[in-house]
Amino acid sequence: MVLETVPVEYYMVLSAAVFCAGLFGVLTRRNALLFLMSVELLLNAANINLVVFAFYWGEITGQVFALFVIAIAAAEVAIGIGIILVLQRNFGDVDVTDATTLRW
Amino acid sequence: MIAGGLALAPAGAFVLAALALFVIDAFSPGKTSGGVLAGVSAFGAVGALAASGVFLLSGAASGGIELFGGQLVVDGMSLLFTFIFGSVTALVAVASFDYVREMPHRAEYYMLILLAATGMSLMASANSLAVAFVSLELASLPSYALVAYLKGNRGSVEGGLKYFLIGALSSAILVYGISLVYASTGSLLLSDVADAAGEAAATYPGVFGTGVLMIIGGLAFKTASVPFHFWAPDAYEGAPAPVSAFLSSASKAAGFVLAFRILLVGFPIQSVVGAIDWVLVFQILAVLTMTIGNFAAATQERVKRMLAYSSIGHAGYVLIGLAALTGVGGASAGATVLGASMLHLLVYGFMNTGAFLFVALVEHWEIGRTFEDYNGLARQAPLACVAMTVFMFSLAGLPVGGGFVSKYYLFAGAVGAGVWWLALVGAINSALSLYYYSRVVKAMWIEEPIEGRTIAHYPTALYAAVLTAAVVTVFLLPGLVVFDGAAFDAAAALL
Repeated sequence: MVLETVPVEYYMVLSAAVFCAGLFGVLTRRNALLFLMSVELLLNAANINLVVFAFYWGEITGQVFALFVIAIAAAEVAIGIGIILVLQRNFGDVDVTDATTLRW
Repeated sequence: MIAGGLALAPAGAFVLAALALFVIDAFSPGKTSGGVLAGVSAFGAVGALAASGVFLLSGAASGGIELFGGQLVVDGMSLLFTFIFGSVTALVAVASFDYVREMPHRAEYYMLILLAATGMSLMASANSLAVAFVSLELASLPSYALVAYLKGNRGSVEGGLKYFLIGALSSAILVYGISLVYASTGSLLLSDVADAAGEAAATYPGVFGTGVLMIIGGLAFKTASVPFHFWAPDAYEGAPAPVSAFLSSASKAAGFVLAFRILLVGFPIQSVVGAIDWVLVFQILAVLTMTIGNFAAATQERVKRMLAYSSIGHAGYVLIGLAALTGVGGASAGATVLGASMLHLLVYGFMNTGAFLFVALVEHWEIGRTFEDYNGLARQAPLACVAMTVFMFSLAGLPVGGGFVSKYYLFAGAVGAGVWWLALVGAINSALSLYYYSRVVKAMWIEEPIEGRTIAHYPTALYAAVLTAAVVTVFLLPGLVVFDGAAFDAAAALL
């Protein structure tokens, strides 16, 4: 099996790298759609961990939970796109830094 | 003892009411009368409230009923919180009858509220990290849409956007934290996590500690605690006021019940303290949240935004319940302070919902949002202003409402658990909060009325909701005793 040759730590490094890439995107992107894609990266980083460790622990809970996470991510995007659509209609752009009518 | 499936009756009442609305609205989409929609929603919420109240006070679920192989548990704490969600949802549904009367997509509005309430009552029962995440999302996703409900209103859309962006980020952080905990313990079920936690904390302190810290971060978002509070003022201010009431009372309580169960059942402090001392984390969070929330509230010019920051401050008070679990004074001291947190959320569910619904009433009259706009309002709407005065003073902790008793329990409990300095910070913050709460009261009763303001009619349903909340808040001053035993028992069962 693959896992016998690739140590489990490597997968954790991979998922941490994907998580950091997503976090970087979340913090720097001004376009709301790119923000959504970055959140997908964050969720998929968690999915890598869940699937790898389901294999590592020899049980199926993590894999099933990864499927749940994928389904919820889809629902979240559906809501997000809806909100971005009304953002575009009200502010004429999908730049998240445009919406600043409410301040301290 | 109640039979398995029946224990979920409170959550079932929310689901059935939501599905009933789907069917009713399918007959003539968009044309169903507001009375039917609000009535069905309130009926479902009162059903949940009554079922959870009866189970709770009769002790039917004492000891806890595990369902679906331990994924869900119905016990004193879950019933107490479902009672809170039921009462808040009922008040909000009644008040919304007037608030959304003229607006499109009313049926969807009520359905989203009921589905979010379903998610919250499942959060109260979640006994595994998987159920915790799924139910948290079930509560969050409808909330995002509800905040942005006034889709032609820039404030509402902006509030919804910020809520969504920070919410999506926090739930991703939460699920990554869950994946790290799964990596180090090999289970998602809280009881199994607890069994493996000691070994995991010793073997992989980094992975396990980071995982727990990220889970705490995800929960801090839901409870609007510092440093994940940035969405709250904008979302509460931009949202329709009944939705702000719903989110700031019910959604916050849901975040707390999940935090209580995950931390106390899944990560018992004595076994995880080597990897992460979460009591210390919550002590820092509690002090920061109380102080930042109250100081920011004191500088606001708009009443709704002031209430939003005050709601952050109250999250800080409730955090004392977790921050005071130092083990000093034994399990009974811990149960007292944790039970006091639950009681504070119960009282808060009425007084804060009422305050936001009063703002909804003012928004309905379209007379402005700042403190000055409230000047002399008591001459035109004395009854509602009496109710608002009760909410303000009860929130500040004066003995006119249940807020006094629950804060007293909370601070006394903190002293009993040996963290007197947390009680001191809380008391100083309460004194400060009296300043900005009494600004509202002063504007309503003492200032001269604004010239030329007329109030054409007095919406019955909004009034009914505000006055009910006020009566219950006052009643809870002597009447909190009814829930005392249940809350302290529920807390003791977790420790």
